[in-house]
Amino acid sequence: MRPLVPVTSGTKVALGVAFFVLFFAAWALATLGEYVNKTFLADPLMMVVAGWRLLTVHGFYLDIGVTIWRVFGGFALAAVIGVPLGILMGAYKPIEAFFEPFISFARYLPASGFIPLLILWAGIGETQKLMVIFIGSFFQLVLMVAVIVGGTRRDLVEAAYTLGARSSGIVRRVLLPASAPDIAETLRLVLGWAWTYVIVAELIGASSGIGHMITDSQALLDTGQIIFGIVVIGIIGLVSDYVFKTLNQRLFPWSLA
Amino acid sequence: MSRLLIEGVSRTFLGVRGGPPTRALEPTSLTVADNDFICLLGPSGCGKSTLLRIVAGLDTPTAGRVLVDGATVTGPGADRGMVFQSYTLFPWLTVKDNICFGPREKGVPAAEQERLARHYVERVGLTGFEGHYPKMLSGGMQQRTALARALANDPKILLLDEPFGALDNQTRALMQELLLGIWEAERKTVLFVTHDIDEAIFMANRVAVLTARPGRIKSDVTIDLPHPRHYTIKTSPEFSAYKARLTEEIRAESIRAAAMR
Repeated sequence: MRPLVPVTSGTKVALGVAFFVLFFAAWALATLGEYVNKTFLADPLMMVVAGWRLLTVHGFYLDIGVTIWRVFGGFALAAVIGVPLGILMGAYKPIEAFFEPFISFARYLPASGFIPLLILWAGIGETQKLMVIFIGSFFQLVLMVAVIVGGTRRDLVEAAYTLGARSSGIVRRVLLPASAPDIAETLRLVLGWAWTYVIVAELIGASSGIGHMITDSQALLDTGQIIFGIVVIGIIGLVSDYVFKTLNQRLFPWSLA
Repeated sequence: MSRLLIEGVSRTFLGVRGGPPTRALEPTSLTVADNDFICLLGPSGCGKSTLLRIVAGLDTPTAGRVLVDGATVTGPGADRGMVFQSYTLFPWLTVKDNICFGPREKGVPAAEQERLARHYVERVGLTGFEGHYPKMLSGGMQQRTALARALANDPKILLLDEPFGALDNQTRALMQELLLGIWEAERKTVLFVTHDIDEAIFMANRVAVLTARPGRIKSDVTIDLPHPRHYTIKTSPEFSAYKARLTEEIRAESIRAAAMR
């Protein structure tokens, strides 16, 4: 191995899969070899059986659907407001000076800490779930987008000025396209965080969703179901991440080597 | 007629962290006639790029003013096109769209943009590369595109800030011939910053030598070599005489600049 030398795509896939195999093997060994009490940690087979039962008998796919909708709903809401605000803050310094201190403060407010308050305000319906995700992702997103836009290469902006561009042209035709790939990358990152917040929101005061199923299973001491729920979230995350990555590569071919 | 008038322009940069302010440019005056090709020649750090940026409107003079066709420069504009030393093509646009940036910003109709792009792509010898992104081009090709991008906007004055500085010697020589050929054919007013004596003599009809920092114009030498100039002129006795003279002038300044570091 030498630093920074790339691997072939075949090796890359093989290595990536190898760790999954190793991980499951270690888990299987610990549980099936009875090194761990089954009450506390289900073995892989129990998980698969529990998962099958969840999907076929208990209609778990409906919970999955509800959770996905909440994540994307809250995330889309944060993106629709957060990205334009971040762009304005990055481009226009007075706007940044106006919002930045408050948003920097607000982003340290824990989204999960708001849950009791949001339940008081919005009940335990969908609005409350969306708000948790919104609070969790909005402030971070705005700040990151503002930093990206504000960091646009100055020489490109100067070149555009010498070509006759005015303020609005600089924003539309230089700042936006220059930051688009990084903004898309940030959205991918923030979507990952939205997944954490949705489960937290569903652990408290929910009657549907993956998180709700997990709390129910805790009461039943069914660790197989809990682990299945967690694995499902992992798989959805992996898939959406892949879709996002592929989409970014398609949309911004120029930003790649 | 004087196209560009630089009147007593000076620039002082504020001190860093309470340090003393830095004088980059002493009050400098220069009159540039229409279709002049002027090289600002000076050792590195002498303020020649600062002067060019002030003419472009990207920097503001501490004192003095710049006039283009009698109007005071207050900011950057399409009448003063610029080619930078660093690669400043828009990476998200193809060669063709980079060239069309200025015309599009002006609201030139699409068909005319198309025509302009085709003309200048051909002019800088990039036919076949219209659809390439800057990342796929060599340094020389990127600078040729940057030149085409500036020219397609039809500026009154073309400002070039050591545009070939990062290129290898052979590419650099070809780029000089290319730019000179364009100037001889289309006659533009050009202000070209360089520290390369050969480059300055080969292309310019006037060379303004700047002193070491803080810069001021030390001498203004008219280069009386016939056009069109062929690269073989670089070995002619007249060329050598200019070179000997400018080398003397620059050498003294380089020694001073080195002593200040």
